Amino acid sequence: MDRPGPLWVGLALAGVAAVALLPVLGNEYLVGTGLTVLMWLALTPSWCVLSRLTGYVSLGHVVFYGLGAYLVVITWQQWPLWLAVPAAGLLAAAFAALVGGPALRVRGPYFVILTFGLAELVKFSIMAAESAMGMAARILFGAPDLLAVYWMMAALALASLGLLAWVSGSRFGHGLRSLRENEEAAETLGVPVVRYKLIAFVLSAAIPGMVGAVMALRSTYFVVGQVFDPMVSVTVIAMALLGGGDGVRGPIFGVLFLALLSELLWAQAPLLYMILLGAILVVFVLLVPDGLIGLFQRWRRKGAAG
Amino acid sequence: MIDTLLSGQLLFSALVTGSLYALVALGLNLVYGTMRMLNVAHGDLVMLGAYAAFWAFTLAGVSPLWAAPLVAAAGAAFGVALYRGLFRGMLAKVTPSTAGKLEGNSLLLFFGLSILMQNIAALAFTPNNRAYAYLDQVFRIGNVSMTANRLLVLCVAGGVCVAVALFLSRHVAGLAMRAVIERREAASIVGVDVDRVQRLSFAVGFGTAALAGVLMSMLEQFSPFSGFPFTIAGFIVIILGGLGNVTGGLLAALLLGIIETYGVALTSANLRSVLLYGSFVVALLVFPNGLLARRLVTR
Repeated sequence: MDRPGPLWVGLALAGVAAVALLPVLGNEYLVGTGLTVLMWLALTPSWCVLSRLTGYVSLGHVVFYGLGAYLVVITWQQWPLWLAVPAAGLLAAAFAALVGGPALRVRGPYFVILTFGLAELVKFSIMAAESAMGMAARILFGAPDLLAVYWMMAALALASLGLLAWVSGSRFGHGLRSLRENEEAAETLGVPVVRYKLIAFVLSAAIPGMVGAVMALRSTYFVVGQVFDPMVSVTVIAMALLGGGDGVRGPIFGVLFLALLSELLWAQAPLLYMILLGAILVVFVLLVPDGLIGLFQRWRRKGAAG
Repeated sequence: MIDTLLSGQLLFSALVTGSLYALVALGLNLVYGTMRMLNVAHGDLVMLGAYAAFWAFTLAGVSPLWAAPLVAAAGAAFGVALYRGLFRGMLAKVTPSTAGKLEGNSLLLFFGLSILMQNIAALAFTPNNRAYAYLDQVFRIGNVSMTANRLLVLCVAGGVCVAVALFLSRHVAGLAMRAVIERREAASIVGVDVDRVQRLSFAVGFGTAALAGVLMSMLEQFSPFSGFPFTIAGFIVIILGGLGNVTGGLLAALLLGIIETYGVALTSANLRSVLLYGSFVVALLVFPNGLLARRLVTR
C-alpha cells in the first residue's frame, strides 16, 4: 500500500476538525445530519473488515445493528448505558462467533444470500416474539440528548476507521486478502483461513452492535422492522462499492457522497432515493468497478504522466 | 387439531403453494444452471406479472386466463432484452479465473435491478396492497372444499413444470440446455450454441416467473415488495432439489409447501416468514457444498 501523501493528511485533519467543530457551530439540524454521516462512517468500514478484505460479501450487516438496538431497548432503565452499549457490541460479536463457524463454510454468492436470510430470520423471529408478548412498539423515556449521542457515534466512527486501517495494513489483513484471491492456495501456504475468516467476522460485528445501541437512544421509538431494515445492509454495500478499494479512503468517499445525496432526497422522495441507490449499484458494478477511489487514482496517474 | 391435519384440506393447500414455488424455482434454476448467476430479482418478475394481471383485470376486464400467455410472453421478451443489454457482454468476457468475480458482480447487479423494479413499481402503482376476486366460488370435492382459482393455479403451474421437464428431456434445444448446465465448456466444444442457450434460459426463466405472478395474483394480495419471499422460496427449492434437476425441484417445492402450510397450521400465521427463512438458512447450512461440489468439478 502506498503511503498517504500530504493531500490525504490535510483532508483527514480537516475531517476531524469538522467533526469536532460541528456541535459548537452548527444548529440541531446540522448536528443530526452529522450524526447520520458518522453512523455510516462507523458501519461501512466495519463491513469492509470482513467483506472487502475476504471477498465474503455480507448482505446481513444490519442484523448486528438490530441486535444491539434490541439489547439496549429491552434493558432500558435496568442497565446503565456504560454497560448496555458495550454489552450490545459483545452480543453482536457473540452472535457472529456463533453463526460464523457454519456460515463461513458457505461460499461465494451463497454466502451473500445466506447472510441476508439470517438477518431476515432474526428479524422475523424477534417480531414474532414481540407480538407474542403484546409489544407493537417500545418507547424509551429519558434518553440522553443529541450531543451525547453525537459524541458516542464520533468515537465509534473513529474506532471503526481505526480498526479497518489497522487490519488492512497488518499481517492479518494480508492473510485475509490472500484468501480472497484464492482460498485453497492461501490455506496451502499456511494461512489459517478458517480462524482468520471467523476473527474478521467477529471484529466486523462488534461495532455495528454498538452503533445500533447508540442509534436506539437517538430515535427513542423502537420498531423491530425498522432496526432490522435490510436497506441498512444495502446502503452499506452501496457506500463501500461507490468508494472502492479495500483501505479506509474508499468507504469515507462513498459515505460522504451517498449520505449527502440521501440527506437531499430521503425525506422528500424516499422512493426516488431508492431508485437512485439501485441505479448506483448497477452503474458501478458495470462501469466503475474500482469505485470513486479508482477513478480518482486513474485521474491522478494520468495527470502525473501527461 | 388432528382432524385438520389429517384432512385433505391442508394437503390441497400445500399442493397449490408447492406448485407455485416449483414454477418460480424452475426459472431461477435454468438461469443459475446455465450461467451461474443468482438472479435475486427473480421474485420481482413475479410481482410485475401479478400487477400486469391485476391491471388487465380491473381496468380492461381481461380474464387472468387470457392475460397469462401475454404476460408470460412479455416477461420472456424482457428477459431476452436484459440478457442482450447487460449480461451477454459480461458473460463473454469471463475466463475461469474471473468466474468467481462474475458471480459476485452479477448478484450485485441483479440486486440493483431488484431495488429498481420494486421502487419504480411503488412509485407507479403506490406501495399499497392489491387484490382482486376471480373464480373464487367455493365448491367441495369429497370433504375438501376448494376454490376454482386454486385448482386452476395447481393445474397451470403443475402443467407448465411438466412441459418444461419434457422439453429438457426430449427436445433438442432442451438437451442442449442440459448439456450447458452440466458441462459448459464441453458443450460449446461439441457444437452447442451457448449464447442461444443462455438467451433461451433467460426467456423461459423470466416468462415462467411472470406467469407465476399472474397465478399468484388470483390467490393472495400483493404489493411492490411481495417479490422477495418468492426469490427466497426459489432458492430453497434449488438448494434442496439440485441444480438443473426439474424433478428434484418439484419434490423440493412440494416439501416446502408442506413445511409452510402445516407449520402455519400448527403454530400461527405470524410465523410464516420465520418458517420460510428458517428453512432457507437450514438448507444452506446443511448443504453448504451440495451444489458447490458439483460446480467445482464441472468448471
